[in-house]
Amino acid sequence: MVGIMNPVSREKLASLSNSVKFATDLGPKLELCRQLKRDLLEEDAAALSEFLSHIFDLYSDPSGPVRKLATEIIGEIGVKHLEFVPEIAPFLITVLEDATPAVARQSISCSIDLFRHTLEKTAIQGLHSSELDSDLESSWSWMLKLKEKIYSIAFQPGSGGVKLVALKFVEAVILLYTPNPNGSSEPPPNEGTPIEFNISWLHGRHPFLNVGDLSIEASQRLVLLLDQLRFPTVKSLTTSVIVVLINSLSAIAKKRPAYYGRILPVLLSLDPPSFVIKEVHVYGANNALKNALLSCLQCSHPSAAPWRDRLLGALKDMEAGGLAEVALNQVHKVNGSVEDEKDHSSVIKEEKPMTKACDAAGSNVGRKRSGTEDSSGLAETGDVSGKRVRSTPSVSEESTKELNRNTSMSQGDISSAQSTTRKVDVDTGPVQQLVAMFGALVAQGEKAVGSLGILISSISADLLAEVVMANMRNLPPTHSHTDADDELLEDMCIVGSNTQAKYPPSFLVDVVSLSSTFPPIAALLNSQQSVPNEIVKTEVGEEVDVMAGPNSTVAYAGMAHEAENALLPGMEKIDVPTPSDIQDVGNLESGIPGLDSSFHYDGLSDAQAASSLVSTDLEDTSQEQGTSFGGKSPLHVLPSISIERSEELSPKAAVNDSSGVVSSTATSVVSSHPFVLPKMSAPVVNLSDDQKDDVQKLAYIRIIEAYKQIAVAGGSQVRSSLLAYLGVELPSELDLHKLLRDHILSDYINHEGHELTLRVLYRLFGEAEEESDFFSCTTAASAYETFLLAVAETLRDTFPPSDKSLSKLLGEAPCLPKSVLNLLECLCSPGISEKAEESQSGDRVTQGLSTVWSLILLRPPIRDVCLKIALQSAVHHLEEVRMKAIRLVANKLYPLPSISQQIEDFAREMLLSAVNIDAAEITDAEGLIIESHKQDSELEKPSHEHQSVSSTGKDISAIFHQSETSQSGSSPSVPEAQRCMSLYFALCTKKHSLFGQIFIVYSSASKAVKQAIHRHIPILVRTMGLSSDLLEIISDPPTGSENLLMQVLQTLTEGTVPSAELIFTIKKLFDSKLKDVEILVPVLPFLPGDEVLLLFPYLVNLPLDKFQAALTRLLQGSSQSGPVLSPAEVLIAIHGIDPERDGIPLKKVTDACNACFEQRHIFTQQILAKVLNQLVEQIPLPLLFMRTVLQAIGAFPGLVGFIMEILSRLVSKQIWKYPKLWVGFLKCAFLTKPQSFSVLLQLPPPQLENALNRTAALKAPLVAHASQENIRTSLPRSVLAVLGLSPESQPSSQVQTSQAHTGDTNNSEKDAVAEISKESSGAS
Amino acid sequence: MKFRYAMVCSSNQNRSMEAHCLLKKQGFHVSSYGTGTHVKLPGPSLREPNVYDFGTPYKLMFDDLRRKDPDLYKRNGILPMLKRNLSVKLAPQRWQDNAADGYFDIVFTFEEKVFDMVLEDLHNRDQVLLKSVLVINLEVKDNHEEAAVGARLAFDLCEQIEAVESWEDSIDDILTSFENKHRRKLMYSISFY
Repeated sequence: MVGIMNPVSREKLASLSNSVKFATDLGPKLELCRQLKRDLLEEDAAALSEFLSHIFDLYSDPSGPVRKLATEIIGEIGVKHLEFVPEIAPFLITVLEDATPAVARQSISCSIDLFRHTLEKTAIQGLHSSELDSDLESSWSWMLKLKEKIYSIAFQPGSGGVKLVALKFVEAVILLYTPNPNGSSEPPPNEGTPIEFNISWLHGRHPFLNVGDLSIEASQRLVLLLDQLRFPTVKSLTTSVIVVLINSLSAIAKKRPAYYGRILPVLLSLDPPSFVIKEVHVYGANNALKNALLSCLQCSHPSAAPWRDRLLGALKDMEAGGLAEVALNQVHKVNGSVEDEKDHSSVIKEEKPMTKACDAAGSNVGRKRSGTEDSSGLAETGDVSGKRVRSTPSVSEESTKELNRNTSMSQGDISSAQSTTRKVDVDTGPVQQLVAMFGALVAQGEKAVGSLGILISSISADLLAEVVMANMRNLPPTHSHTDADDELLEDMCIVGSNTQAKYPPSFLVDVVSLSSTFPPIAALLNSQQSVPNEIVKTEVGEEVDVMAGPNSTVAYAGMAHEAENALLPGMEKIDVPTPSDIQDVGNLESGIPGLDSSFHYDGLSDAQAASSLVSTDLEDTSQEQGTSFGGKSPLHVLPSISIERSEELSPKAAVNDSSGVVSSTATSVVSSHPFVLPKMSAPVVNLSDDQKDDVQKLAYIRIIEAYKQIAVAGGSQVRSSLLAYLGVELPSELDLHKLLRDHILSDYINHEGHELTLRVLYRLFGEAEEESDFFSCTTAASAYETFLLAVAETLRDTFPPSDKSLSKLLGEAPCLPKSVLNLLECLCSPGISEKAEESQSGDRVTQGLSTVWSLILLRPPIRDVCLKIALQSAVHHLEEVRMKAIRLVANKLYPLPSISQQIEDFAREMLLSAVNIDAAEITDAEGLIIESHKQDSELEKPSHEHQSVSSTGKDISAIFHQSETSQSGSSPSVPEAQRCMSLYFALCTKKHSLFGQIFIVYSSASKAVKQAIHRHIPILVRTMGLSSDLLEIISDPPTGSENLLMQVLQTLTEGTVPSAELIFTIKKLFDSKLKDVEILVPVLPFLPGDEVLLLFPYLVNLPLDKFQAALTRLLQGSSQSGPVLSPAEVLIAIHGIDPERDGIPLKKVTDACNACFEQRHIFTQQILAKVLNQLVEQIPLPLLFMRTVLQAIGAFPGLVGFIMEILSRLVSKQIWKYPKLWVGFLKCAFLTKPQSFSVLLQLPPPQLENALNRTAALKAPLVAHASQENIRTSLPRSVLAVLGLSPESQPSSQVQTSQAHTGDTNNSEKDAVAEISKESSGAS
Repeated sequence: MKFRYAMVCSSNQNRSMEAHCLLKKQGFHVSSYGTGTHVKLPGPSLREPNVYDFGTPYKLMFDDLRRKDPDLYKRNGILPMLKRNLSVKLAPQRWQDNAADGYFDIVFTFEEKVFDMVLEDLHNRDQVLLKSVLVINLEVKDNHEEAAVGARLAFDLCEQIEAVESWEDSIDDILTSFENKHRRKLMYSISFY
């Protein structure tokens, strides 16, 4: 065998294997390995034999992947060159022990390939010659060793990845060792043909491979596999092992049906929940089991058949009933064998308890009831249609249960059977089941006659009709008319209606003779079986859909009835055609006059009108029937049944109008029997798709039209459900949604539009949410959206704003898509989109807002979105809109704790944006170019985001902010500022602490914003009232907010008495932080007089207008306590101010005086006199005293007398000692001449001289006055001397002394005079 | 990345492609397939889906739908989805026809029906290699949002599977911890190539 190796390739391989050996990095190493593998596999055996050891060396590599690859290479070499097996097999055995699971697994993978090939080669060689070459023999023995080794891994306890593959290996060996029933039993003529190896090729003529032994071994291994799944071993397995075991076993069962009987009991006894201890992946194992059982169920081998029932039962327990049914159908199609059918009936026997159990709780009662109704009412033709209609929205999920029920009839349990058949009716599933069953029974020939009879007798007439119908459809046209129908025709009249009336026990006996008449039906059934179930199903399904259309309904109902009749003639012949029976039927019919008449009078054309009649009539008749049947029917033994039945029928009265259509047509068909038959071929008119669509559409329109008259009849609950169902269920391109919508919207209230819309919406929504495929989800979702939007828009446009329909609809719809929210948004914020340009009234806004409000309350998931809408509306540019929204937000929404924070954040955001925009505007106005403005706004945005807390607030403010900046060309107007701030102000009234923010913002705000704030404050503060929060804010106002604070205080004190706390706070503020006395002004009237007097200098120091205001307040005082100060006190206080001591400019004081004199109605003559009286007593005299005197004279000339008195008192007080006042005194004297002469003359001579010197103009008149005889005599000499009236007068010396006396103050006197004159001229 | 992954849904459009896209980005060795008979995409109505054969390039579907009704298909997310898909691979592939693509170590399905179909298909193949394959079903609703969630979950699970030396030994633990973490039920089975 050793050939000469090509030196080049040998070199190459050697170097490759070396580089593999010495490569250090895993990546390149693996790459080299692969390269080596490619090269090696191209080599011939000779070269390889030499090289094999090198590769074995590779296995010593420390890294797992390399070992794995080496194993793989060796395995592939082995497969290609089986002669190496004696070397490779021991190697693989060692590899099985590898510490790395992946490598060990690889070994098994290689082994199975090697094993298969070796077996194949051994077998085939043995077939051709009796001697095998020794190499092969030793290969085979090595393979057996390898196999045993792997077996030991597979069956050792424990788990792990290696075991999984080992188990699979066992499966593969079992399959190899056992004959494949489907495979060829002869080996391929020439070797190398790719055909699957089959052990049956051996035929027992192999030197040492004995088929029997092999299959014994296989079966032993199988037992071991099965044992693993048996309790309690199974408990120690992991789920993955269990899954693999189940899969393997089911594969074996499927491929080797001979083992069916051994594998299935084990699988069936498995109960995943009980054996998986850790409770993990029960469903994984469960699912594997389910799939395994299902695949077993599909097995068509005869030996599988006996297990079918148990498989079904187990699958139903696993809730895989639907799948099982499908599988069963397939089975039935394939096997119509006798044995099969027997199995089937036993299936039913076993399943029955289970179905009953699961139904017992809910539906048993109902079913019994309907069953009794059935048994009594079967004879009556109207009932057929009634029943059918009821089940039009067929309950397909019950199909599996129904299967049980239907089949359970074959037990001969008639009463229970009837109770179960009730619901079956139109449902196509059971019909197909039955058809299959009939087919199977018929195929058994005579043997099955008994059970066939029982079956027929126990099925309701309707169902039987359906069964025949299903067959008719597939009937070859010639066939149907040749034997079957001709024969049927004769019996038609008898059959009419009495067959189902009773099921006399005698019938069972007579059924034997059925066999003679049955062949035709058997033929039909057989022909049907060749047709795939699906087609029949869909056709029937469509038929049911079309039923709503009058035309097709006729055909359908006709056919149904026909069919029912057609099936039974055979039995009739034997059993019933006695005159008495017929009469009985006649009686029955006359016993239900109401029903009869209505059916006959209302023709087909009148179907809609009839519908209401029918529904009401049915009620009457049902009761009548209840009584009339009670006695007659042999089955009605229990009186209670008839009562139940009438109860059952009354709800039936509420069936929709399509029931009317059907029932009437059904009867009309019945009444014209002879003409019916030819129609049998008529229904098979193939409509084009367009025609079908048209028919459906027309039908639907008719139905809708009929609904318009339906309100009278009541029962709208059921009706509208039905209408909605139809509208959605029928194909959507007919645009039935639109028809339905139009119907709803044409009269929303009278058509119960809300209920109907909701039903449609829920149906569409359900479809969209259903776990169905992608495209139907998407389509339904968009249909949903369109429908809801259309209805909502119409509601908005057609109904008055006060209508609550829209709100109700949106509140109850299953979900609100974006477009609907947009609609709402446009409603709440008119003008937000260009489309909604039509002028909306404010009421619409109210409508929108109240809807939003209710949505926020009712639908937490979309609360944020709705809130956003409301908030957006709250900063709307139209004040009307804004105020409405603000009212909603502040009064209704803000109190909700869950969203108050969001609202607050948003409002704050807007407030700040107003201020910030402003800042941008200012820079703009300062002449910066537009680019910089852009930068500004960009800079601003991040700052916004920092401030914002909630995302919603941020979003919206960002939006607004952009709109602001984009439209900003002019500086922000007051209205614009108000737009942004109103909401915040409104919130302040709810949460006073928010107010502080306004103070903060205020200082940096622009004029317009400030103006806007000031406009708001009075209302705001008045609403808020004084709270502790507000007090706190007042107690520490930020700098720059004084004006605001003033306004707040003013508002707070306006018209009310400020609380003590407020006054205290303000005083404290004045004392500590804010020295501005202005803040005290509002509370002045409420302060005690002495405090005010202390404050007086500050007040005087205020700007004049403010002083005047303060003065007014002081004098008015509060309504309770009266004036704080009297006018006199005020004047005295003013005079008490010492400019130097108090640091107040004299000017301020004089201004204050002037202000007082201006108010002559307050500072009256008397008051002045009183004041002067007091002032003159003060020591020292107030600085402004003389000035005030002068002003008093100016203001009130009548005071002259009084003033003279004052002056003379001044003289006595030596007024000349006060230089400033002295000037004033002289001025006063001058002004009040001649009255002042007497006072002047009281002056001591030096002072008089001084006075006359200062005011020269006084001298002449005074002299003239003194010259009067009576006066002159009273004057002392010295005075006369001063006046120059005395002969010895020395005026000059006197003057000098007086001058010397007063000289030191001369200058200042002059000043004072000048000043005073200036003042007085200004004041007067 | 040690293992080869396959993502399977029914049409190889939404769920499997979402996961494919994500895993591909993360550097996984991944393919994706559909088990349906055709590729069905939503149409203007329920009865008029857009039906394509497997193997029709995504680009072609994209152009086709964009021509038909750009608004509709953009709105329901089909066009964006196709655009994503055509960046991932050429055309939808059918699972049942993928024998030539070699064997996978891990197969993800996103629907139980698909899971069953994949398993059935695997069982029907000749299991000669004895190469184990893990099939995991992660139930994901067939819409865009859920597909994105599902893809992330699948990615998470793949990472954990990659982290262990051989999944055969630890799959129960991995899945259990995954289930506890994400509150999602998984189902798995093991089959062989």
